[in-house]
Amino acid sequence: MADFVQLVILGLLAGGVYVAVGVGFGLVWGVLNIVNLAHGALVIIGSYITWQLFTTLHLDPFLTLPVDAVALFVLGYALQRGVINRIIRAPLLFTFLLTFGLNLVAINVLLFIFGSDFRSVTPAYSGQGLEFGSVVIPYVPLISLGVAILLSAALAFILNRTRIGLAINAIAADRDAAQLVGIDLRHAYAVTFGLGAACAGVAGGLIAMSQAITPTAGEPYTLQAFVVVILGGLGRVSATVVGGLAFGLVEVFAQSIPGSGSVFANAIAFGLMVLVLVTRPQGLLGRLR
Amino acid sequence: MFLILGAILAAYALLAPLTSLDAAQSANVPLLADRLWFRIATIIAMFIVMATAWNIIGGITGYAAFGNVAFFGIGAYTTGMLIAKAKWPFLVALPFAPLVSAGFAALVGLPLLRLRGHYFAVASLGVGVAVGELVQNIDYGGQPLFGGASGLFLPIYAIDNRGLFFFYLMVAAATIAIAVTWWVLRSRFGYGLIAIRENEEAAAVLGVNTTVYKVAAFALSAALTGLAGGIFSQWNVFINQDNTFPIDYNVQMILMALLGGTGTVFGPAVGAVLLQLLIQFLGGSLPISFDIPFVSADARPILAQVILGLLLVGVVIFVPRGVIDFFGGRSRLSLSYLRRSLRETSL
Amino acid sequence: MSAGVTTQLELRGVTKRFGGVAAVDGVTFEVGKGEIVGIIGPNGAGKTTLLNCISGLHRLDGGDIRWQGASIAGMAPHRIAKLGIGRTFQIVRPFGSMTVRENAAVGALFGSAAGRRGPKEAFEMADQVLDLVGLKAKADHPVSALTIPDRKRLEVARAVATRPHLLLLDEVMAGLNNVEIDEALEMVRAVHATGVTVLLIEHVMRVIIGVCRRAVVLDFGQVLAQGEPEVVLRDERVIQAYLGERYAKRLKS
Repeated sequence: MADFVQLVILGLLAGGVYVAVGVGFGLVWGVLNIVNLAHGALVIIGSYITWQLFTTLHLDPFLTLPVDAVALFVLGYALQRGVINRIIRAPLLFTFLLTFGLNLVAINVLLFIFGSDFRSVTPAYSGQGLEFGSVVIPYVPLISLGVAILLSAALAFILNRTRIGLAINAIAADRDAAQLVGIDLRHAYAVTFGLGAACAGVAGGLIAMSQAITPTAGEPYTLQAFVVVILGGLGRVSATVVGGLAFGLVEVFAQSIPGSGSVFANAIAFGLMVLVLVTRPQGLLGRLR
Repeated sequence: MFLILGAILAAYALLAPLTSLDAAQSANVPLLADRLWFRIATIIAMFIVMATAWNIIGGITGYAAFGNVAFFGIGAYTTGMLIAKAKWPFLVALPFAPLVSAGFAALVGLPLLRLRGHYFAVASLGVGVAVGELVQNIDYGGQPLFGGASGLFLPIYAIDNRGLFFFYLMVAAATIAIAVTWWVLRSRFGYGLIAIRENEEAAAVLGVNTTVYKVAAFALSAALTGLAGGIFSQWNVFINQDNTFPIDYNVQMILMALLGGTGTVFGPAVGAVLLQLLIQFLGGSLPISFDIPFVSADARPILAQVILGLLLVGVVIFVPRGVIDFFGGRSRLSLSYLRRSLRETSL
Repeated sequence: MSAGVTTQLELRGVTKRFGGVAAVDGVTFEVGKGEIVGIIGPNGAGKTTLLNCISGLHRLDGGDIRWQGASIAGMAPHRIAKLGIGRTFQIVRPFGSMTVRENAAVGALFGSAAGRRGPKEAFEMADQVLDLVGLKAKADHPVSALTIPDRKRLEVARAVATRPHLLLLDEVMAGLNNVEIDEALEMVRAVHATGVTVLLIEHVMRVIIGVCRRAVVLDFGQVLAQGEPEVVLRDERVIQAYLGERYAKRLKS
């Protein structure tokens, strides 16, 4: 029984990272209708920023997260405004290819700067955790989960309570009507993508603490972000939170099956996604479009 | 004008390798007599097959599959396993590559092709990634079923002028792919596919059985891609997850079709030649060598990828309808064409 | 329905819901072979949804649709097309990268009498149909070069090329000026004269009065009235549905 509880806890904690990875991806997809294949790259850029700050300035990694968010917001805003906006009205194949191209460039630039060595961020408290009898709740994933929830709440707040957030909602509902009431689409689009990138950056910071990073380490997260959003349901931040936690649970339980192991990570993600799309395409919390 | 130039180049590329035969050695025709060029030319032909095959499901039918490399790998492993484990002769094993690939595509296509747009693209990407992973890691009775991480070794095909043989075999496959595309575009099947691409609901109410047609296009695309994979396995003698399911190939196929012109007969082939030459050039595998300032030899593959990525971005933004459209009817590169493309798609 | 006319299409209690709302609610009526029947009603009455149900694009939530005696509820759209029911869309959906002739040819290639027909024969059939709707001169033009009235003609031509027994027309007259409406009316009459039963949704009343023998009025997804157009249009409930209670009272007095 304790084992089961341990697994559930580990699953929810793992879910924290997936929530962070998913909310940014889902925002960009839901509002801009862009499936950002460079999402993983944005995540890993965040990881490297955290690593760099941790290594040279000895900052506690959790304190680097706001830097990740700001840096990636700026990057995301610039990318959307400068590049992605140019093909936003083209068929979706083009946004796919474009973001894939950006992904390629980003990863290779990182390779050029940092090389392919694995790096890790290990704060002093990384091996430790709260203990309740035989159940352990490790600190880093616990705080990460907290950060992820906070991030989602902040995102939801921005979307529902601020002017720019309402503008973004308006665009998501009806782009042309939004223009008619005077919303600057270019700016709003760029802010949206910037927010998505910022979330990715924070996720990257969290990931740097939970695994070793290398420029290509962000790749699997793109597909996983996609699955998380589908699982939870496209359209609301809360749905993605549920999706992320659920995905974490699935992953932990799947890995605990003797014999399978983590080599099948992608196969599991893909299989889950097909299952959801075939049985309940609107996701756990979503509404059928 | 370009048509004639292209035809001349193609003829040269196809016939020059014959000079490697001992009888013609003394003629000393440059370039294509070199074994290195065989390899590259064969690779180019391979990509012509894959890009043309992708065009059938992606360009003509409008379902942009992002995981077609799965069929390449399936074809390669089908032939590979039949040769290595079941000891079948190569030419008997080869036809099974397209067959198995097509079968898999039909199976996977039925649920997958019900998805539209984003969902289909990423789902097919997922297939591509997952199949590669499964093939590499599935065990049977404790042993990796398909050779695992260490891959599968095939016996070397015993034939004279091996390089020449595989080159022409791959070229034959490319010819088949192009011929099939040409036939499709003139047939009832092709009209149905284009109708599905332009407006699926309208096609349905006009009597097009969209499900069957989509799956058929997918299977056809898979068969051709699998054929390339089957040839590759014997030609390369060694196959593993990295060289038969590289995710890169997915994008290359699409980029080639896009670059040359989706939905056309020769577009993907043109794109394949151009892009592959560029990739090889940047990667340093061409005999033409040069030094790039600030970039060490080690960093060259990285630079190659960066340029590839930037090229992808550039093509998508500026030349979305491909080179064939770009050059069709014009004799000069035109800035206004680029500007017009931009205006059509940007905010 | 007049005596001596055989029933071709029968709707019995057809119901279609979206979420909690019934867009089509218990619709029952018949269409006889060779008739021209109009469907009218205020916006949102469920007219297009009804056509979508008949052509198989929507699954029924209740009721049945019978074609020549046999149920077609739940059939795939392409099978319904092959049975001989063709339709046009209110917002036209041409195949943009094809020429006018090619568009019409798609109908001929896949329609009800397609059989083993190949592209060449399909083109010949397409030419015949284009002649019928008045697009013969523009057969080789790309679709993008067509005016709105011509696009509507093409939409009709494409559907007619499938050799339907019943043609469903969804607001063919929308967006046309008076002259264009007259031309379109001629086209509809010409199509009907070849023996095709026509069921058309329209807002333009002179079309309904001019060409339909019967009209069915829908409101909130239900059949409000049916009968001859002049009679139906004078029905108080119909006027109320279109113009609202106050206006109806005003007209009466």
